[in-house]
Amino acid sequence: MENSTKLKFEQPSFKERIKGMLGVDFYRLFHTPLFYIFLAIAAIIPAMVSCFTMMPDQNGNVMEPLYSNVWQIIASTESLYVIKSIADYANMNMVFIFGGIMVSIFIGHDYKSGYVKQLFTTHAKKEDYMISKTLTCAFAMVCMCATYFVGGTIGGLFAGYKTDVNFGSLLVSIFGKMVMSLGWASLYTFINVVFRKYFGISIALSFFFGTGILIIGVASIVEALSLPTAFLNIFLYGASVNACLSSNIFAFLTCIIVSVAWAVIYIIVGSFVLNKSDVY
Amino acid sequence: MNAIEIRNLTKNFGEKQALQGLNMTVPQGSIYGFIGENGSGKSTTEKIICGLIHPSGGSIKLYGKDYTDQDVRAKVGVLIESPGCFPNMTVWNNLMIQASNLNLKNPQEEIRKMLILVRMEGSAGNKYKNCSLGMKQRIGIAMALLGNPKLLVLDEPINGLDADGMRIMREVLVDIAKSGATIVISSHILGELEKIATHYGIIRGGKMIAEMTAEELEKNCRTFVAIGITNKDMAKMVLGRKYARVEEDENGYIRIYDKTTPEEIVSYLYSEGLVINEIRKDKIGLEEYYIDLMKGKGV
Repeated sequence: MENSTKLKFEQPSFKERIKGMLGVDFYRLFHTPLFYIFLAIAAIIPAMVSCFTMMPDQNGNVMEPLYSNVWQIIASTESLYVIKSIADYANMNMVFIFGGIMVSIFIGHDYKSGYVKQLFTTHAKKEDYMISKTLTCAFAMVCMCATYFVGGTIGGLFAGYKTDVNFGSLLVSIFGKMVMSLGWASLYTFINVVFRKYFGISIALSFFFGTGILIIGVASIVEALSLPTAFLNIFLYGASVNACLSSNIFAFLTCIIVSVAWAVIYIIVGSFVLNKSDVY
Repeated sequence: MNAIEIRNLTKNFGEKQALQGLNMTVPQGSIYGFIGENGSGKSTTEKIICGLIHPSGGSIKLYGKDYTDQDVRAKVGVLIESPGCFPNMTVWNNLMIQASNLNLKNPQEEIRKMLILVRMEGSAGNKYKNCSLGMKQRIGIAMALLGNPKLLVLDEPINGLDADGMRIMREVLVDIAKSGATIVISSHILGELEKIATHYGIIRGGKMIAEMTAEELEKNCRTFVAIGITNKDMAKMVLGRKYARVEEDENGYIRIYDKTTPEEIVSYLYSEGLVINEIRKDKIGLEEYYIDLMKGKGV
């Protein structure tokens, strides 16, 4: 029975591996209703929020409008690390809440179906998995930003808000948030990898991070300690709130730097966690 | 070179020691039947070989290389428990996903070949969730075979299959083995395993208690003479006077394990005034060998 055949082993390059894995993840993304449901949610919610605040109640009274300008649905007027009213957060940042839930379901399905078991018994590396998931989910969030923009703009125009804006700042805030999708996707991928056996915790943590609830807690501690709070915008909240209707090109650059830094950190730490723990 | 060489493998889950210095040698080209009770450490060993869980200690070599080498991993096909497929996708698409992860150059051609091999060529368009258990297991085998692996690790692939499903699976595995691949297969259905395995490993309490070839098992499995007789108690008493080991089996036959012949037994019982209804010479199978080993009878 002894067979002395000399076996030849070939190691696929990183480029080949990541190409194959990205192909699978994007195929799955485009062939799952989940993606389209979240695109629709991202479009409908801002439209509804803008319209509902302009609708009269049963006594014919119209509540105070949430926004004064269409583009406030896209981004807040100024950079804030702690929200003062719901309008400060009820803008494109909401995509990062929806995105967190979508990422949890998308990655959770990898484990529920046993796909990871099939994947990690091949030559696939844990780093490849983190990179591929981050990029795919970032793409999904960028798409959600786009549908949010369309839904929010139509809803705002329909509600009759004013449209005057600094066009450059508007572009910075839209693209800044789109760029931050990479950072957020890496954070959510990391959370889901760490809590892969506890789907509920993954969803809850994604929600708490996405809504900024955790940041508010941290901010209050920082304020109580009389420490500078500016870094909260950049490092804790991912510069997403920096991309506002009064921001300039430097805010956009900050978004790029922070987003890439988040992605690198979370991919490295996530890969380390995956490499050190039992996969399935 | 052996396909698998495991030395002093240990794995702890908290306080529990799942594997306690396990040694295992799987020769290239063999069909290795991996047998053990539930919780004996079979699946844990297989998951470690496949890189799904980390060992606490020991060494594992696949084809002479460390089992964590990504290049050697590419030549290992795996079916652990059930295939990792997306239920709402078709069989074809699930296989395409695995082919893509394996960076196959000609995935469509390879998938077609595998579907023919596992007798699933007509079901490629079916959604995975609509497939029967037997079909799902064969999809798992097809998935494990993509990329022309040299080592297949199959955990309970025939569990839950009907007689026809088992026959197809057996034929598939024999076809695969003919291509030169090494197969490690764990199963509780020892009768089926006996039909295809060339080597055996028996694990108990996280330790390998026996490893042997099919030929060695054949030698180890003692022959016996089984008799059917009306007055069993009297027959057992009479036979017990002359033969060292006389036992009644679960079917009511009396077995005499000493070196003897049916003719000798017939004439001995006849001389004692007992008439036999039925007699045959037989050999204990893998299942009985295993049960005896587990009971510590030292077959």
